[in-house]
Amino acid sequence: MSHLGEELSALVDGELTGTELDRANAHLAACERCRAEAAALRDLKRQLRGLAAAAGAGLGLGTRTGNGETSARSLDEALTERLMAMGPGGRQASRRLRRDAGRPHAVCRVYSTRSRRPDGTRRAGPRPGPGGSRPGGARFSRPQPPRPGHTQRLLRPRLVLPAEKEQRFRARGGRLRLRPRGWHLIWSAVSLVVVGIGAAAFSMGGGTAAAPGPKITPPIEMFSVEHAITSGDVPIPDPTAQVPTPESTP
Amino acid sequence: MMSVLRRPGLLLSVAVTITVPSLFAALAVLGHERPIAPSAAQAYASSSGAMAVAPGSPVGVNAFLARPEEPAMSLGDLRMSEQQAQGMQLLDRAAMSGLTSSYQGVEMISQWTVDGAITVVSTVWHRSGGRTVTQTANAAALADSQPYVSYDGDDHDPEGVFGVTTTLVGLLRTNYLIEYQGMGSAAGRPALLVDVQRADGSLAARFWLDKQTMLPLRREVFDDDSHLLSEDAFLQVQFGQKAAQAGIAQAVPASQSTWTEVPDPAQLVKVLNAKGWHLPAALPASLSLYAAAQCGTATGQVFHLGYSDGLFVVSLFVQRGVLPAKMAGWQPTSMGGHLVYVGQHSIAWASRGFVYTVLTDAPPQTVNTVVKTLPKDTAPGFLTRMGRGLARLAALADPFK
Repeated sequence: MSHLGEELSALVDGELTGTELDRANAHLAACERCRAEAAALRDLKRQLRGLAAAAGAGLGLGTRTGNGETSARSLDEALTERLMAMGPGGRQASRRLRRDAGRPHAVCRVYSTRSRRPDGTRRAGPRPGPGGSRPGGARFSRPQPPRPGHTQRLLRPRLVLPAEKEQRFRARGGRLRLRPRGWHLIWSAVSLVVVGIGAAAFSMGGGTAAAPGPKITPPIEMFSVEHAITSGDVPIPDPTAQVPTPESTP
Repeated sequence: MMSVLRRPGLLLSVAVTITVPSLFAALAVLGHERPIAPSAAQAYASSSGAMAVAPGSPVGVNAFLARPEEPAMSLGDLRMSEQQAQGMQLLDRAAMSGLTSSYQGVEMISQWTVDGAITVVSTVWHRSGGRTVTQTANAAALADSQPYVSYDGDDHDPEGVFGVTTTLVGLLRTNYLIEYQGMGSAAGRPALLVDVQRADGSLAARFWLDKQTMLPLRREVFDDDSHLLSEDAFLQVQFGQKAAQAGIAQAVPASQSTWTEVPDPAQLVKVLNAKGWHLPAALPASLSLYAAAQCGTATGQVFHLGYSDGLFVVSLFVQRGVLPAKMAGWQPTSMGGHLVYVGQHSIAWASRGFVYTVLTDAPPQTVNTVVKTLPKDTAPGFLTRMGRGLARLAALADPFK
């Protein structure tokens, strides 16, 4: 008597229909060995279902499908978590994975010493603690240092938004203010140049305004004679004047 | 009575109330007899030698009207006293004598100028109706026996001795009181003393006029504090054509003066100011514009404006141009916050494209007042200075220049 073989697994999975299902059921009624194998397969399958249900209930991740089965995705995540928990530091990694599992933008998280609102203003008040997710907190990637003194505090401010969030942010008229490290150098250089030119201009702008005309040393001897004539007095020679040659009139 | 003594403020008020009107009354009575009180400097004046003049001449009216604050002034006081009329007439004759007399003499001139005291000795030859030749040497030049010779033409009016010219005597009459003081002597010759007084009675100047020819032989000028400002005197003098001709004949003929007199100085100032020049129509301290001349030089046209109150003369020379950075013999100094260059009896500065040079024998306080009123460059504002500096930087950086 031939046994069911591969059909037994299909029977347990409910994949047989019609004559194949009738013939398999007739064989099971007559064959003790196949009945025992079918019972073992069903028991294994039940155990697997129970295992998946327990994992989904413990993490709160599992979502039931319409027919009451745990989704493959939730099962995969639960299995992955259990596997990670087996490694070194597994509990911490497991907690981080669980914390991030509910945040669809976890990959966008950045660490920064600054936090800004979409309008560019700084956020007042204490920084939320690690893992603190607010309602709607995923609207904006809020920088969160993992812990005080972390080396990533030294990173320059950098704003990274997911594509769809950035589009919504720009649609509201917001402006992303990206301030790379080089801008500070540029501002410093420009400030130095402006201050230097201003100081030089102020220094060179002193004195009297340049006026057209020849450079003249007053001919004081000629002026002295004219002054003496109009004042009815004797010309007084000035040491600054050259001694003229004698001259007179007829 | 005791209550009054206990209140010194009330006592002081009573004393002032009584004293001040009494003083005014006394001044009114004295002023009726003599408008200007004699100063202490007049103590050594002699009182003899009255000249034949016409008392009651209405000259000197402006001198009174210019000071209406004088107490107890009446129309009767506008009439000159006999001594004042004599003084006026003597100075008029002295101005004419400077033109008509022929003489040769040695003058010593001591002045306290803006750059200190200066003393020069000049030999002067003047022919009646002719030329005047002056050979001048100061102390340093005398040591080198190197004379300074100048001349003025006989047709160049005014011409006079010790500032006694027709024009200046007219201004003197306007701004001062002139009074004959009596007889004296100068250069070994008998002389008539004429005082020039300010309205407050202080002595401004004293002239010694030769009794025979009326030529001024000596002049002393005082400031407001009766300090001697200048002293000009003939050390020796000879009159006559023969004495005058000797020096003039030895002089080398020279070309006519390049200065051209301007008959209407006020109109010249108005025309030049309309063309962008900055020339004052008058100066403080009652210095009126009375003379103007122009001269063409290699560096452009030079205008000379003469201002005077009759006693002090301020000559202002203006021409287009700028001063060089350094001028030998001139000391840069600050006057009224502005950079000026001071020579021995001259001050020069540049402003707005013009060079101003002032020559004067006025006292230092008058010079300061005058120079402050003349145009000078002011410190530029911040924006002006920055703009000027940027323009200069751009000029330096211009590779095509």
